[in-house]
Amino acid sequence: MSEGDLSTRRSFLKAGAVLSAPLAAMPGAAFASDGSTARLARFEDENAIRVLHEDWLRNINAKAANNKPLALFDAGASSSEDEIRSIAASLSGPPDKIKLGADGRSATGRFRCTIEIERPIAKNCTLAQMAYLQGGGFVRRIESRVLMVDYAKAGVSWSITRVKLVVAHV
Amino acid sequence: MSGTPYPKAQMHRIAYSRLSARDIESKLSKAWPDGPACHSQSSDVLAGKSISIITDEGLKLSYDFRSKNRLTVSENGGAAAAAGYGALTLDRLVVFTHLIPGTQRGYAVVVDQDAGLATVFELWFSGYQDNREVQREIYHGYVERTGRKPPEARHVASNRMEGHGYHWTQDNGIETLEFYPSAAYSHFVELTRFGGELGFSAPSDYIKIDTGFFIYTRTECEFSGIFTLYVIDLNLSEQAGFRLGVDANDALEYYMFRGKGEWLGQLAHFEKFGDVKGDVLPVPVENGKPPAKGARAVYRPLKTMDKMSRTEVDALVKRKTTFARTSEMAGNGDPPTDYLAGKRLTLRYDHAPAMEYRFDDSETMHWRKHGSTRWTKAPYIAWESMPGVIVFGHLLEGEPNHDGHSVVVDFHQGLVTCFNGYLNTPYFANEAGVRTLFGVIEMEGLIPPVYRRHQFSDDLVGRAITWEYSPGITSMHLYSTPHTTSWTIFTEAGAGGMEWSGIGAFVKIREGLYFAYWLEEACNGVLGTILINLHTMHDAGVSYKCNKDGLNMHPIGALGRHVGKFDIARYFEVKSSGRTA
Repeated sequence: MSEGDLSTRRSFLKAGAVLSAPLAAMPGAAFASDGSTARLARFEDENAIRVLHEDWLRNINAKAANNKPLALFDAGASSSEDEIRSIAASLSGPPDKIKLGADGRSATGRFRCTIEIERPIAKNCTLAQMAYLQGGGFVRRIESRVLMVDYAKAGVSWSITRVKLVVAHV
Repeated sequence: MSGTPYPKAQMHRIAYSRLSARDIESKLSKAWPDGPACHSQSSDVLAGKSISIITDEGLKLSYDFRSKNRLTVSENGGAAAAAGYGALTLDRLVVFTHLIPGTQRGYAVVVDQDAGLATVFELWFSGYQDNREVQREIYHGYVERTGRKPPEARHVASNRMEGHGYHWTQDNGIETLEFYPSAAYSHFVELTRFGGELGFSAPSDYIKIDTGFFIYTRTECEFSGIFTLYVIDLNLSEQAGFRLGVDANDALEYYMFRGKGEWLGQLAHFEKFGDVKGDVLPVPVENGKPPAKGARAVYRPLKTMDKMSRTEVDALVKRKTTFARTSEMAGNGDPPTDYLAGKRLTLRYDHAPAMEYRFDDSETMHWRKHGSTRWTKAPYIAWESMPGVIVFGHLLEGEPNHDGHSVVVDFHQGLVTCFNGYLNTPYFANEAGVRTLFGVIEMEGLIPPVYRRHQFSDDLVGRAITWEYSPGITSMHLYSTPHTTSWTIFTEAGAGGMEWSGIGAFVKIREGLYFAYWLEEACNGVLGTILINLHTMHDAGVSYKCNKDGLNMHPIGALGRHVGKFDIARYFEVKSSGRTA
């Protein structure tokens, strides 16, 4: 990356922090004579989605910290008894992808992550009873997944319309 | 008077009387004035001193020790109460205990005279459904010293006692074997009081004073409810402490003791290196409320087990009997064998009717008792644990006590041993009982021995093995007496957590191959039978149980890890004097 690229990117981010809502509200092609305005809008949308994703991750893990399993559809689940206890962003593998729809009002995200899965053990033996009494009674494991998220833009705000976990293929 | 060391009933079978709070207060009132008895000379180290103990939890105790056995105590600045007390020293440590007159409460305090640290145990009766069970709350703090800054260090709960075992001889002649296979429970064998037939398990505290000294407690929950506390000098293997509670004869036990120990070794433990945390079990909370004072995780199997009458059992077994081929207790089991398929043989037991078998295939056979003309078809499951040694299990439909057989047959030796489970036992009809049957195999082409039989063995006594049945279902067996199997459950961090114990027996089949059972008397009534192969560290067997879900036999199969062995068989040998302990 050149020095010129850096300054450009910094200025975009700075502008985006202040102007994201009005710019995002503008039609993408309105000032697109040289393409820079469209690129700015796209970066801002991607940034907003990234922030939204991070907030969502924080919120959902906070819920999990209250001992509530996460109600997410996991296409990779091997048992209906599996409960997702936490999701952590993964920095390994290919980078995350956010793809904006042509209409500028929809987007999809693919985020690599690891999920902590808990499966309760059946309470039908003495050992299991004792395990439950001492706060156990489950088996935990960590597995890799990809979070497939659909987004929609209403007005100037992005929101999540669907989340699903799929098995990560390297 | 029998003259033997054995009680009329073992601890788990004693019908401890339901004492009222008034009963207990009456018993305690006799001990308020004088404090605990003490066989050894009690210490006068505190006589003439006044100390205040400040704890982090807010409790403040101010003491005036008027003499070596009289004190006054003020709780949180309240009016001073006069009581008898007892004190013993162990190196620089003092342990003293007293009751609060007019109450069912008392205290035990351990003071490190050099460091100025103190740990306080508030003790009380009538704090649980069973009034006799002594409750405890632990406070960590220090001795207030005028003009000196309070120390920052504290005595702390620790797992560093985990795995140790001792033979203790108290100054009053009481001998025990005590094992600490968990960071939250302990296991004890009363050699003197109960003749050492069985070991029992109890919730315990382990508090580190420093590397060489620990405080240990246990409360005999589900039994007498007696509380024991002592400090241990790990280097000298000495103890000093006391017991408080009401025994099986409803007599108050409140006495201090000293003891000399023999360190028996240490079992491995399974926390990550660097993890020395104590207090490994979460304190139970109800409806999100803060934990009650003294709350702790306690396994109470007698309270929670299904209890059924003979009529209920007979009706249920007719309706619901299951022979399962899979189980969470066999997630790590080996595949079954078809070794027996097509064989026809008789198992001739020395003291029970012979059993004739026709094995149709690897899952189905017909059996009949010798003398009967009627064959009964039954499912069975079998494993070849060592070449030529098969363990198999089946239920005996139609038997009046709904028997199940777990059988080991050694075709190289022509020998058989059977753990014969049955129901309709005296305490709860659905609680399994068990007989051990020895005998020989009779079949074409096989000549069995005339005199030789498998034998009960003490080889496993003192040994501990972890058994991982399935992911999340792992326990550690400790065979603490020739008749006890205890099991400890691990926490997620690998610490020893809850522990319980049942009856056990161990039969040597071959070198390194033992047929064992555990019987969950006054627990869930389960009979677990396993053929333990110490060469492969794998087991195989069947479980036989009856509860509200019906009569059930299912497989057991687990991966083992050897944890260690205490050299304790010598404590169970009957000496020429006629005594064991």
